[in-house]
Amino acid sequence: MSDRRAWVRRRLLLGVLQIAGLLLLVFALTEALPGDAAVAFAGDQPDPERIERVRELMGLDRPAGERFAEWVGGLLRGDPGVSLVTGRPVTEYLAAGFGPTLLLAGVTLVILVPLAVGLGVLAARREGGPVDRLISTVTLGLYAVPEFALGVLLTVVFALWLGWLPPTAIGYGTDPLVTPLVLVLPVMVLLARPVCSISRLVRAGMIEAMASGHVAQARRYGVSAVRVRWTHALPHAAAPAAQQVARTADWLLGGVIVVETLFVVPGLGTVLMDAVAARDIPVIQGLAVLFGTVTVLLNLGADLVAHRFAPRLEVAA
Amino acid sequence: MTRPVARVEDLRVAVGDRVLVDGVSLTVHAGRCTALVGPSGSGKSTTALALLGEYPAGARVDGTVVVEGRAAYIPQNPAAALNPARRSGALLNDIARLAGGTRAERAARVRDALRAARLPDPDRVARRFPHQLSGGQQQRVVLAQALLAGAPVLIADEPTTGQDPLTTRRVVEELRAVLDRGIGVLLLSHDADVVGELADQVVILRGGGVARSGPVQRVPPVAGAPGDAASPPDLPPSPPATRGRPGPTGTRPELLRVEGLTAHHGPRRGRTPVLRDVSLSLGAGECLAVVGRSGSGKTTLARCLAGLHRNATGRVLVDGELLPRSVRDRGRGHLAAVQYVFQDARASFDEYRPVLEQVARSAVRLRRVSPAGARAEAVEVLAGMGVDEATAARVPDGLSGGELQRAALARALMARPRVLVCDEITSALDPVARDGVGDLLARLANDPDRAVSLVLVTHDLRLAVGLADRVLVLDGGEVVESGPTRVVLTAPDHPVTRRLLEALPGPVVPVPDPAG
Repeated sequence: MSDRRAWVRRRLLLGVLQIAGLLLLVFALTEALPGDAAVAFAGDQPDPERIERVRELMGLDRPAGERFAEWVGGLLRGDPGVSLVTGRPVTEYLAAGFGPTLLLAGVTLVILVPLAVGLGVLAARREGGPVDRLISTVTLGLYAVPEFALGVLLTVVFALWLGWLPPTAIGYGTDPLVTPLVLVLPVMVLLARPVCSISRLVRAGMIEAMASGHVAQARRYGVSAVRVRWTHALPHAAAPAAQQVARTADWLLGGVIVVETLFVVPGLGTVLMDAVAARDIPVIQGLAVLFGTVTVLLNLGADLVAHRFAPRLEVAA
Repeated sequence: MTRPVARVEDLRVAVGDRVLVDGVSLTVHAGRCTALVGPSGSGKSTTALALLGEYPAGARVDGTVVVEGRAAYIPQNPAAALNPARRSGALLNDIARLAGGTRAERAARVRDALRAARLPDPDRVARRFPHQLSGGQQQRVVLAQALLAGAPVLIADEPTTGQDPLTTRRVVEELRAVLDRGIGVLLLSHDADVVGELADQVVILRGGGVARSGPVQRVPPVAGAPGDAASPPDLPPSPPATRGRPGPTGTRPELLRVEGLTAHHGPRRGRTPVLRDVSLSLGAGECLAVVGRSGSGKTTLARCLAGLHRNATGRVLVDGELLPRSVRDRGRGHLAAVQYVFQDARASFDEYRPVLEQVARSAVRLRRVSPAGARAEAVEVLAGMGVDEATAARVPDGLSGGELQRAALARALMARPRVLVCDEITSALDPVARDGVGDLLARLANDPDRAVSLVLVTHDLRLAVGLADRVLVLDGGEVVESGPTRVVLTAPDHPVTRRLLEALPGPVVPVPDPAG
């Protein structure tokens, strides 16, 4: 099927172009920020001479094109530069933040996908019935509650009143793998909204598929209801759900700042907050590139999945 | 007579107060074909689905339905029975699984069924996604499902409707092979020729009841008999013999000219074009029939004229004026000059707005008529076509296929076009509606005042004979024959033309010379 291969090639090329555009954009935006790093670095009462010196020291007086080429070259070698504040490599910051974020995102996704698909299929199976209405009401209700409010509520109920779960990650050591209970509340907060959106997409796709001619045909030949539901109807609902899962994974890997702050998780969101507060431009740039690349890659994956399950749709490229 | 494999007795299906079928009885015998004939809405599908044990939601059902085993079904559009998200062999594998056996045994059974359904390369077909198969291959995959399941009865829903004569022949042969395997066939069709060839028993439905039934020798399978509730609007009869044409072909001023039209689908590199260097010319008020098999490039040619196919080179001129290749670049005058009527009338209307409003709209948009004036004109044009104002005021769902197609014609005419392109506009209709639209076209073609030229894309050679001054035969994207209708169809030069003519069951009546 050369058609498919050509499509994949086009889509990969588009991904590369997107990342190139992303690098340009990140650099241009940080360049356009008022007051460069030297101003921030020079302290509260900077005299122009000192700023000039710092600028020279940091190479900020060189033309933007040159600095961009150097920055991109560094990125290609896996070196996004050093922090202006501490002088430690940016990669160290990213690595430190990525661990907790990846753990949270991973655990959330592993629970999210089966839960949302299961709820969606169950609701579709009982369309219009009490189970469907219960699922729709609860998920929509959860969806309407913002993360910070839900986080506070769950902390108050489960950590303070009932005392079943630890309220934050702090004080339980820094390794959540040793004390997995600290993950429960943040994961619950992170799950609340995606479960709703994905299960509703699965539900809609399933209802459409179950009413379609090809599912009727499978039933006519006596294929069991379970098989019809999971192997004939569900693939139909997979394409839109995959796109939404990718979007959710992107959101999770971006370090959900509200959740990280509330539960004191030292993830990427926290790193970003600190870097912005300190105007640590290289770290901000590094994070932006990381977030952007993750977004591009996840959407690439989602498009590949969608192309597989809905080949007639022209997905991007 | 062989043993009966399916029997329906005194079936009555009602939803609320509406009776869909009442008192329908029929029997399908092993290895024999029973045809269920009738116009759309006569209860054919309801009866057929009853054999599958499927009824509309909320239906009350009385009567007896007995099937020896499980009936199989080929829908009119076979793609609807294939899951677009799974490979074509997915359901076949599941059906094979029901009968048990090892993986290898099951795969062998699937292959056998596909081969029996005349798919010589079963593995390749089973691995492909449905959209990568042709319509004929899709139909055969669905047939393979029935063969694999060992169904005693096969219900074929309009298997030849909208197909060109060669495809129709192929489908008839496939169904005959199914009969030879001892499978009973219930054929839903309004194609009298196909029914006459295959069926032993005919049941004619009308308005949900059985109008006549019996052996095919005694019951001629004509659906649109007089006295039909859905009879065509009262139009002046216009048999080809009574037509008076101003002057012989070729002396009229040229209106439409196409030069060196070559069109592609998808990227051009390494692909064979769908149309190759097609040139034609059409006089004012002339009617040109474009005929050919499915996939010969007929529709692409029509779409190029209307600016709907942009991936093309060549020139299209109306009245000596070059038309921009894309409809988007065409101005109001150009848009009005070339109007297009689609095969699927329903899909060409917005389903949420009244039909009347949509018909009037083309005069407002393309001729700058005031909305009130356009509406009055639309009412008049529609009435002339047998669609009254009350009907037209409904949304498309409230109109029958024939009424919608007439409204689509009216909508195109409201633009006062110079060239009217009609793409298979009768092929999806039942015979009654088809005759109605055919009469309209004839009236249009014969109206000496209206200087509209017709481009009629069709595989219905009889329609071409009745209407067209000239015929253009396309094959593989090239013009293989063209000339006056009489000459081309009575003394065909090219083998494709001959095969198209031979595939017609009855003799084609040549157009009498209007001069003689």
